[in-house]
Amino acid sequence: MAQIQRSPEIYDVVVVGSGAGGGTSVRVLTEHGLKCALLEAGPMLDVNKEFKEHEWPHDVGHRGAEDGGAAYFGKGKPFGYFSTTSGGWELDGEPYTVGEGSEFRWFRSRIIGGRTNHYGRMSFRFSPYDFQPYSKDGLGWDWPLTYDEIAPYYDKAEKFVGVTGSNHNDLPSAPNGQFLKPPQPKVHEMLIKSSCDKLGIICIPNRRAIVTEPMKGRIPCHYCGQCGRGCRTASAYSSSQVEIFPAMKSGRLKVFDNAMVREVTTDGNGKATGVIYIDKTTRREKHIRAKAVILAASSCESSRILLNSKTKDFPNGVANGSGVVGRFLMDTVGFGLSGYVPALEGMPKYNTDGFGGAHLYMPWWLWDKHNKLDFPRGYHIEIGGGYGMPGIGSFQGAARRAGYGKGIKEIARKEYGASIGFAGRGEMIPNVHSYCEIDKGVVDKWGIPVLKFHFKWSDYEWKQARHMEKTFADIITTMGGRVTGLSAAQREADGISTPGTIIHEVGTTRMGVKPTESALNKYCQAHEVKNLFVVDGGFFVSNPDKNPTLTINAFAWRSADYLAEEMRKGNV
Amino acid sequence: MSNSRRDALRQIAIALTATGTLSAQAAQHVHSAAAADTKGGKYTPKVFTAHEWSTITKLSEIVVPADDHSGSAVDAGAPQFVDLLCSQNTALAEIFTGGIAWFDAEMRKRAGKVFLDATPREQSAMLDEIVAAERTVRELNTESGLYARAPQYKGFAGYTVKPGTDLAPGVQFFDWARRLIVDAYFTSPIGIKDVGYIGNLAVSKYEVPKAAIDYAYNRSPFKVVG
Repeated sequence: MAQIQRSPEIYDVVVVGSGAGGGTSVRVLTEHGLKCALLEAGPMLDVNKEFKEHEWPHDVGHRGAEDGGAAYFGKGKPFGYFSTTSGGWELDGEPYTVGEGSEFRWFRSRIIGGRTNHYGRMSFRFSPYDFQPYSKDGLGWDWPLTYDEIAPYYDKAEKFVGVTGSNHNDLPSAPNGQFLKPPQPKVHEMLIKSSCDKLGIICIPNRRAIVTEPMKGRIPCHYCGQCGRGCRTASAYSSSQVEIFPAMKSGRLKVFDNAMVREVTTDGNGKATGVIYIDKTTRREKHIRAKAVILAASSCESSRILLNSKTKDFPNGVANGSGVVGRFLMDTVGFGLSGYVPALEGMPKYNTDGFGGAHLYMPWWLWDKHNKLDFPRGYHIEIGGGYGMPGIGSFQGAARRAGYGKGIKEIARKEYGASIGFAGRGEMIPNVHSYCEIDKGVVDKWGIPVLKFHFKWSDYEWKQARHMEKTFADIITTMGGRVTGLSAAQREADGISTPGTIIHEVGTTRMGVKPTESALNKYCQAHEVKNLFVVDGGFFVSNPDKNPTLTINAFAWRSADYLAEEMRKGNV
Repeated sequence: MSNSRRDALRQIAIALTATGTLSAQAAQHVHSAAAADTKGGKYTPKVFTAHEWSTITKLSEIVVPADDHSGSAVDAGAPQFVDLLCSQNTALAEIFTGGIAWFDAEMRKRAGKVFLDATPREQSAMLDEIVAAERTVRELNTESGLYARAPQYKGFAGYTVKPGTDLAPGVQFFDWARRLIVDAYFTSPIGIKDVGYIGNLAVSKYEVPKAAIDYAYNRSPFKVVG
């Protein structure tokens, strides 16, 4: 058998994964003067090749239906041909399994920058109350730190990433932050706000990771609305363009792409010595050695690496003496409803692309009314609408209703831009039925044992989704519209998002005060292995309704500062 | 990506970096570059016989005909779109070649000639029947699919009624043909102009016209703002 190839060099830090957590880590650590290796399971990002910004559907022969019309057969890219999602729900040769009676879908990105190349850029700092949920309602657990401890890093992250928004007297569900000027709302959003005003729902400028003024070599947003295609000007934040590419220029970062990490290696004295990975291009096993290891491979992938790193000293996997690694997996509660608004029919056409996604959103507005509700935690509301660029499938509803002939055009012209949509994004309570573990019977094509998922929504989540449904219907009808979404019977099947599909899976290596109940301390440092950190969504103790990326940016930054300082002091 | 579009994007980047603003001409250049990219010469079908090609062209004219306002799906390149996808996907090609053969056989039964040679009245009579059958099938499908997915209706058979039509192959094919033709139309420059999409631009400031705000508010239950 061939020997494992050892890296001749010992890096200061090896970082696994190149999304928000990994990108922030290497940028901050190289700024501290540390030599880093960054491992990514996918290829290097070539912005010119991957980002299809400004392409029209008719610029390609298949118009976006993909070769052979793959999109028509459900085999196209997850969010459409023009999106820059490299990866997906299923990856060739890299399966996962799901326990009987459970449903879970696992989205994995395989490219430098990971999901930050295409994510929604929703950037909501948590609220003070989000860090003490157990103290508030007796469910779940409190975080091992308070809002005040992390707030300076939210400030730093917002200033660095570039987040739009506005301050509203420290609204409990949307605290003040460091915001760039948000763009003017679109007409349907103004109507939605008027409707919300009547209903007592708070509606404020959206908080998105997009620069609306020049910032550190990034030019301002040019309002094409195509953030999901990847932003060539990096006006929309991505870890690849904003963290990793600049860090590579420092000369202190070496990137290893197509590097599929299998396990963390340890020295028998409770310290990590590096990671073993499979070089996908040669299928050779290699060992990268480093003085510290940071996992940022995504919550579940990092848990998989830890669980697969079994030694005599760590029989349950490295850093898993508590047994919580893989446990208390959470996603966000999702529910959507659409409506048709006659007031918008025949409106003088204008450009509604804007900065992609909505210009307004509704933060949770009933934070002090939970005693009157039948569910314990809040949600925020995202808005859809406007004159989207026509694409594959855009007018099939009109086509089917008209049958054929001139009627198709007439319906399309009349109804174009008059539909709106709402998406609720709510907090799930962690439960013992939702977790991932190693499936002992299955390995991927690299020979690495795969994950098996188990997941259950509880009544808390279902009741929250019903509240979303009633609220969205109220907003639609208050503005003179009609609900066009689900029928009563469909709700039984589609009344709540399929677990995993909001792609906010977090919590499987949670932080805490007690090493018996958590894998990490409040610096994302493993209780049991002082030179091992996990800085993806795994550290989350709860999963507030605020999308996770900005919190990952903030904690990864704080963790990198802490690690650099501990290394300087000789503690790590 | 074509060079012209890349150049246009580069110009936007330069324009924005230099001044922070962007001229209307620079934005317009993106449009012209994109339009120039799509100009093509005479087309030779990759998979279809001359008869099949003529039939697909005829169907494209029928499904999305020209009107006073805009051109037809043929003007929008629908037949070429169908041909391209079918040339890359045997299963899809068979849906079309088989479907056209069924259309011809059905029209022979009705009028003693292939679909292409039938009069417009004969053609629309057949399509009207297919669309009517489709609606029945669709309602049933929607209903049965829906109840099959809802746990409380597990094993409940009250709504499963057989479509009872010989037109099923025609319904299936026509659904595919219309899907591709309609998509080809609305994703073309003609279709995009028809519905009035005016985005995919680079602008230095995002502004919403007051006329649009006033129009919507005047038709809404709310008072005009600002």
